Amino acid sequence: MALLEVKGLVKRFGDRTVLKDIDFSLEEGETKVIMGPSGCGKSTLLRCLNRLIDPDEGQILFRGEDVTRVGTDVRLLRQRIGFVFQQFALYRHLTALENVTLALRKLKGLSGREADEKALLELRRMDMETHRAKYPAQLSGGQKQRIAIARALAMDPAVLFFDEPTSALDPEMSREVVALINRLRFEGVTMLCVTHDVFLARYVTAQVIFMDAGEIRAEDAPERLLSGHHDARIREFFGNSGGSDA
Amino acid sequence: MLELTGFSRELVAYGPQLLEGLWKTLILAGSVSLSGLVGGILVFGLTLSHQPMVRRVTDAWVSFFIGMPLLVLLFLVYYGFPQWGIRLSPFEVAFWGFTLNVSAYNARYLTTAYRSLDAAELEAADAQGFGHWQIFLWIILPQVLRLSVPALTNQVILNLKDSSIAFLIQYTEFFAQVQELAAQNFRFFQAYVMAGLVYLGLVSVIVLAARRLEARVILPGLER
Repeated sequence: MALLEVKGLVKRFGDRTVLKDIDFSLEEGETKVIMGPSGCGKSTLLRCLNRLIDPDEGQILFRGEDVTRVGTDVRLLRQRIGFVFQQFALYRHLTALENVTLALRKLKGLSGREADEKALLELRRMDMETHRAKYPAQLSGGQKQRIAIARALAMDPAVLFFDEPTSALDPEMSREVVALINRLRFEGVTMLCVTHDVFLARYVTAQVIFMDAGEIRAEDAPERLLSGHHDARIREFFGNSGGSDA
Repeated sequence: MLELTGFSRELVAYGPQLLEGLWKTLILAGSVSLSGLVGGILVFGLTLSHQPMVRRVTDAWVSFFIGMPLLVLLFLVYYGFPQWGIRLSPFEVAFWGFTLNVSAYNARYLTTAYRSLDAAELEAADAQGFGHWQIFLWIILPQVLRLSVPALTNQVILNLKDSSIAFLIQYTEFFAQVQELAAQNFRFFQAYVMAGLVYLGLVSVIVLAARRLEARVILPGLER
């Protein structure tokens, strides 16, 4: 059974249909990257999957359970999906450690000591333990993104979503984060990543979903999408993005 | 000089009443600063409700109490309510009148600070699975309170100064006692200068405390 199965997903904002009949699946331990031009619906799709945005039609099966049906415990669903944002979205009044422990204490009910232990483990995994007492404003972009990933991983999510994780980073930091995501892939973390970053797509994934105008146009290996794909729109997109690293 | 010496003597003689008035001023200003802060937080919380009706009613409530002059509100309750059989003591009227007024202002300060928060943080909290009130309590409130410290402490200063109007509803706070002293000896100038200096001294203490508080709550990396 797939971890995540999306069937006929539709989302409209007023008269505009931003997601049209989306179908795809994500297996346990698999990493998929969603690419496409700005405004094609990638981020909206990600937000529909954890119900930050409610879809209008279709089904989202999370480990076989339809999480679009009425009565779904949306907050519990979100706790099972780690979400890493483009702009890091760390709580700026909390230290790095507190950013990771907050949900552990308040949502998982861990004691302060248990939460600290778990958080320190994740910070160590991200090579950020020495920065645990720093506030977000004292950290670089790359460091903030590592804390954000540690915060998401600390909840032991079934899947990790990334929304443009490298867009706000300089090329050097971006490569660091890509290497980190790749490491997670080898550790068997299930991931779904929205990105414009061709380097990230090439480096970390076996499958890229290409979206355009709210539709999935192709799902294929990155090298097949990036070099002379039969779909002119895909050729045009990757031609414009240069197909270059970072 | 002689004149001042004479006034000083009267000041000493009238000292207990003045001190009692000063105590009442501090009680009123202190209690409404506290109740106004709690009320302001509650009203601010309601302005973030998911229910449009709750938001609309709360916004109207805030606008009403900001728009209503405090003195009119105090007179309405103190002199108007007895017409309907509701009689409250001067302190009760001052306390509730000030609390409603100060809560509305504090809620507005907190709302202004809320608008400067990073929307991505709130979305992240949502995505983590926090509920509406959990986000309010652990993400929004600690930040807006920090950001609002200058405005909130300024309101405490206003509360202290504005408490002097409570003498108009027979609350015998400090300024009411000063009036009494001045009316007895006709040394209005000296009495009002003395009152001004006392208020200035108290305000200075609040300003110093506010600066220390601001320095304490500012987040590392965000200092100006």
